[in-house]
Amino acid sequence: MISLKNIFKSYIQGDLDVPVLHDINIEINRGEFVSIMGPSGSGKSTLMNIIGCIDRPTSGEYVLNGFNILESNEKKLSMIRNQFIGFVFQHFHLLPRLNALENVELPLIYGGISKKERRKRAQEVLAKVGLADRMDHLPNQLSGGQKQRVAIARAIATNPSFILADEPTGALDSKSGEQIMNIFTQLNKEGTTIIMVTHEEEVAAYTPRCILLRDGRITSDMKRVFT
Amino acid sequence: MSWMESIKFALSSILAHKLRSALTMLGIIIGVGSIVTIVAIGQGGEAALKSQFAASGNNTIEINFIPDSDDPFAMITDELPVFTEDNIFQLRKIPEVKHVITTNSSMEMLMVNEQSISTQVLGVTDEFFAVNSIEMKRGRKLNEADFSQSNNVIMINDGAAQELFKDSKVIGQILEIKGQPFEVIGVYKSAGGLFGLSTPEIIMPLTLWPVLYGTDDIQSVTLQVKDISQLELAGTKAAKMLNDAKSPELEGKYEVLNLEELQKSMAGITKIMTMIIGGIASISLLVGGVGVMNIMLVSVTERTREIGIRKALGATRGNILLQFLIESMMLTLFGGTIGITFGAAGAYFVSFIAKWPPLVSIEVIIGAILFSIILGIIFGIMPANKAAKMEPIDALRYE
Ligand SMILES: Nc1ncnc2c1ncn2[C@@H]1O[C@H](COP(=O)(O)OP(=O)(O)OP(=O)(O)O)[C@@H](O)[C@H]1O
Ligand SMILES: [Mg+2]
Repeated sequence: MISLKNIFKSYIQGDLDVPVLHDINIEINRGEFVSIMGPSGSGKSTLMNIIGCIDRPTSGEYVLNGFNILESNEKKLSMIRNQFIGFVFQHFHLLPRLNALENVELPLIYGGISKKERRKRAQEVLAKVGLADRMDHLPNQLSGGQKQRVAIARAIATNPSFILADEPTGALDSKSGEQIMNIFTQLNKEGTTIIMVTHEEEVAAYTPRCILLRDGRITSDMKRVFT
Repeated sequence: MSWMESIKFALSSILAHKLRSALTMLGIIIGVGSIVTIVAIGQGGEAALKSQFAASGNNTIEINFIPDSDDPFAMITDELPVFTEDNIFQLRKIPEVKHVITTNSSMEMLMVNEQSISTQVLGVTDEFFAVNSIEMKRGRKLNEADFSQSNNVIMINDGAAQELFKDSKVIGQILEIKGQPFEVIGVYKSAGGLFGLSTPEIIMPLTLWPVLYGTDDIQSVTLQVKDISQLELAGTKAAKMLNDAKSPELEGKYEVLNLEELQKSMAGITKIMTMIIGGIASISLLVGGVGVMNIMLVSVTERTREIGIRKALGATRGNILLQFLIESMMLTLFGGTIGITFGAAGAYFVSFIAKWPPLVSIEVIIGAILFSIILGIIFGIMPANKAAKMEPIDALRYE
């Protein structure tokens, strides 16, 4: 489903060409639950943004669901982001003037889903993350954990190919973090592909596959079998 | 994404900064308001002109003879130029003319019960009734037969009924005018008899005029046209025809109410007003438009993160462009609508002072609304485009 080949990314800073990612090769299949770990500044977020089609590598090849991403135009990328990818950000990134339900409806609006249909769908996914009773709350009327659950609901509302979560528990206390991980585990059991960046070993322990990044290179890509 | 959603988003963002939005609209309010005022004043002036031209408002116009002013004796009453039968015949042939109403009038001292009472005597044709609505109080109007057979019958107004007959039984009474006996067949309501009773007035068939006064010339001619828009044309044609036919020793000329002169003086007033208000309007529209652009740029910058989130969720450039464009359009549309309200109030005020009919036509309102929306597009396109072109990653990272 996701195929990254020889991905290289560098930022130009002044006269310097600062490389951030080197020779990244990753294959991720449908149904996987992958964590990406590594020290701060190792390029995890950069990699996530490239996978999420909101950033472009300097060179390499990226094929997602058969689409050659690096040759797609802006309009096609919008469609790909809308249909294939569900984002969960560290700082939630909910729109402050929309309530929980409207936030979840947002990707469905851009997907051209009818009003009735998307309302029903948004209610379903909010119920799934345990927020059936918080639908008309504005983000500032929700706790951090609740906000992140709204964000997860928003990410899964369009039934995407995979969820991209960059430190989804990074801004949460351990209890809320655990709750989020339980939701992820449940979603993965139901077949959702999840790719997640984390700093915390305990969080990474939830995932069967873990990719280690160091200085922009993959130093390890392990699969483990849970017993 | 539907327009409804875009409008909802735009509205919520405008309402989130009520004061800022209101201040931004100010220039548009003043500008659009001024334009509405100018146009309404212009149209009101034109309507005032037309209504003066079409004096009674029933598409009629009177033809007058204006003697040359350097000949002070031309106005000697006996020599007053008149309209001949042939004149009238020619006037009827003008295609735009529906009716030619010929009337003669004379002041007579009528002796009733040893008392002389001054009375206005009008000789009219049946066409008079086609143009003037006359309300009967008692009896009947002059009819076809009265005109064709030159019956010695008259209608009198309520003033005459009071003065001549002291309101006793009137119908069937005989009144003597210039030695001829006339039977009163009806009493009609005076047109302008607001304060008590108006001056006594008698209407008789014009066909009897030669018997009483010994001439079949016509003193007054009024044209009625089929449509008000033809009034000017018909008037000009009639005046030209009469002037061509008039004998050369007659010093002066036939004229309809002098349109050109009126138009000129009216245009003079409106021109100055248009220049002043137009100046205010264009400056405030420019300042207002730039204000809208400025606020939209601020809004785009403030909402960089939001733009990034929307793009990550699948918003296309078109979605973002439309969202911000609709927002600026709604700003100018609200401003414009408030401006139209103030402008209309201004127009009513001016027309009240100038005694013109106030005229804020539906065309002006629709035009002003469209204009406001177009302003929103012109001054909103640059900020909206800036928002649409943002890279999602840069927008998301924005602090
Ligand atoms: N827009 C940018 N311009 C220049 N350099 C950048 C930019 N974005 C990221 N970098 C650099 O790329 C490197 C990788 O950044 P990235 O955000 O991917 O790290 P990370 O692994 O996510 O770190 P963290 O765990 O702290 O989130 C860093 O050294 C950073 O300074
Ligand atoms: Mg990071």
